[in-house]
Amino acid sequence: MSNWLSAAVEQAQALGEQMPAWRQASLPLLQGARWPTRKTEAWKYLPVNVWEQIKLDAPANPTPQLQAIEGVDSIDLVFVDGRLQNLPASLPAGLTITTFADADSQQAIAELFGQIKPGRHVFGLANDLLATDGLLVQVAAGAAIEQPLRIVNLVSAGEEAHTRVLVRVGAGARVSVIEESLGQGPSRNTAYAEYLLEESASLEHYRFALQGSAAVNVGGAHFKLQQQAQLNSTLVGFGSQLSRLDVDVIHAGEQANAKLNAIYLLDGKELFDLHSTIEHAVPNCTTEENVRGIVADNSRAVFNGRIHIHRNAQKTLAELNNRNLLMSDRAEIDTKPELEIYADDVRCAHGATVAAIDKKALYYMQSRGISRSQAQVMLSFGFINELVEEMPNEALADWLRPQLRERFAAMEVK
Amino acid sequence: MLSIKDLYANVEEKQILKGLSLDIKPGEVHAIMGPNGAGKSTMGYVLSGRDGYEVESGSAQLNGVDLLELEAEERARAGLFLAFQYPVEIPGVSNLEFLKAAVDAQRAARGEEAVSSKDFLKMAREACKQVNLPADFLKRGVNEGFSGGEKKRNEIMQMILLQPKLCILDESDSGLDIDALQVVAEGVNSQRDGERSFIVVTHYQRLLDYIKPDYVHVLSEGRIVRSGDASLALELEEQGYAWLKEQRAADETA
Ligand SMILES: Nc1ncnc2c1ncn2[C@@H]1O[C@H](COP(=O)(O)OP(=O)(O)O)[C@@H](O)[C@H]1O
Ligand SMILES: [Mg+2]
Repeated sequence: MSNWLSAAVEQAQALGEQMPAWRQASLPLLQGARWPTRKTEAWKYLPVNVWEQIKLDAPANPTPQLQAIEGVDSIDLVFVDGRLQNLPASLPAGLTITTFADADSQQAIAELFGQIKPGRHVFGLANDLLATDGLLVQVAAGAAIEQPLRIVNLVSAGEEAHTRVLVRVGAGARVSVIEESLGQGPSRNTAYAEYLLEESASLEHYRFALQGSAAVNVGGAHFKLQQQAQLNSTLVGFGSQLSRLDVDVIHAGEQANAKLNAIYLLDGKELFDLHSTIEHAVPNCTTEENVRGIVADNSRAVFNGRIHIHRNAQKTLAELNNRNLLMSDRAEIDTKPELEIYADDVRCAHGATVAAIDKKALYYMQSRGISRSQAQVMLSFGFINELVEEMPNEALADWLRPQLRERFAAMEVK
Repeated sequence: MLSIKDLYANVEEKQILKGLSLDIKPGEVHAIMGPNGAGKSTMGYVLSGRDGYEVESGSAQLNGVDLLELEAEERARAGLFLAFQYPVEIPGVSNLEFLKAAVDAQRAARGEEAVSSKDFLKMAREACKQVNLPADFLKRGVNEGFSGGEKKRNEIMQMILLQPKLCILDESDSGLDIDALQVVAEGVNSQRDGERSFIVVTHYQRLLDYIKPDYVHVLSEGRIVRSGDASLALELEEQGYAWLKEQRAADETA
């Protein structure tokens, strides 16, 4: 066991009965959990010891500042170093946002907390005990919330922070949630979110992990889809010395659709590890997952995409694709799509490739006067921009694109 | 303007151009016709510098500049433009970004500054209008999901923006309905200024009703076997290319 984990357990034990019952339940689970090592399959490629070794020196960087997103009139919810800031004074009809401390919300919290996030995520269990400030977002049945929720996790240098978000999207309701983590200096952070999409609910989800490379972070986004629910999610990661994201989708009702796009841009010695597990527990659901990354210099991307189609999940349609562009010989990709199919009438496809620049496109661009090197840059960026273009929120895509461009340009110069 | 002399070129070890010669003066329009597989597209690729198209011997000069010595992008900057028979789709790169990069690269080569984004958007919208493409095509990926006709019009739009000296239009009319054909022809005609020259590769006399050629050539087995004025196209339309075989047979016995 790790010292860090032992301390977390001790801290929780000391609180004991003072913790709400829904939190207490995770204590024995965490006590029984194993701290991952290189021999743990799910952590094979990630040096988990960095988690404890990272030096949280006295803050050199001030807390990052939050800037508005042009063209996106969002409802902002901000955590600073794990502490939730003031909730908005007024909210659109059908939207309720409360904190974990809210006495009237305990029942609703208990119904979601740890109910969608699988218990196998050790850091997730730790987050159960450590994320004392948390948010409960409830969208009433039938409500269409036009303003996106922007949940920002600002982590200052030298800090350790744990945040938790629970979202219930009621039957037929529609909402858009942006989860964003920011912070440049050395820091340690877990951020977990659980989403319940009730019948015919629709969620537009974004998760941007755009921290600096000394910000070590482990987190997850976990979704449960009831009948006819629609999930459209876009993840973007810049990696860090240790950056791990677990995504779980459970198709629990028929005719639910999940579209998942993920992008990573890695440089230096950064790591990014995305593990996704899609459970098709019922028939007639679809999953379309596209993961694309560019890895430069000495960086490493790990992608493990599991799709589990249960015995009765007939007529499942599932596609999983991971494509990578390698910008240096020392960059590394470990990709493993895993299809486990126990139903016989399904359509599934998966693939993982190291992509190459399209020669025809390169020539076409050169034939217009664009230099070969510039054309290569444009095509490489185009490779991930394709997924940015698919973001349903155009203004958000316009905000994200220059950040990715800047990042990519920095990767180019080496 | 363009002077091709006795050009021999190979694709994957296979000789395709076999002694191609062609002279084009400023402002002239030359139509090139000929059976499938004759080497018409290959000529465009060889001149524009596509990888894998190797010149064995001969020369090609554009305004005295040896094209064959240049990289593909340098040929474009020297004023060569090829409207592709099959334009390439580039998802993820917007048409606008692509066009601006091309125009700016060519300007930079002439020592001119990049156009401001605002001015360029205006220019591009204007060019769209000229070829009857809605302006939102600028936002889409290059040729991505465009219909055959839209791709061809997009090529002409690029030509209008790039203002080349010599344009090679490779079957810019194939797959177009009569309205789209007129749009393409008008786009081309709007660029005729007595200086700019054109090579129009086509299978159909129809296009030449709109774009009047000064000369018509027949390309067969990698070289020009017959040249004439616009009336040759009419003749070919009636006769087809069967006579080529007889001529070849006659050549061989001679
Ligand atoms: N990449 C290639 N590899 C091998 N042969 C090719 C290739 N491209 C073209 N060719 C051959 O070159 C010949 C000329 O083709 P092309 O120039 O496209 O003819 P045209 O445009 O006149 O119809 C054809 O026989 C074609 O099969
Ligand atoms: Mg051809």
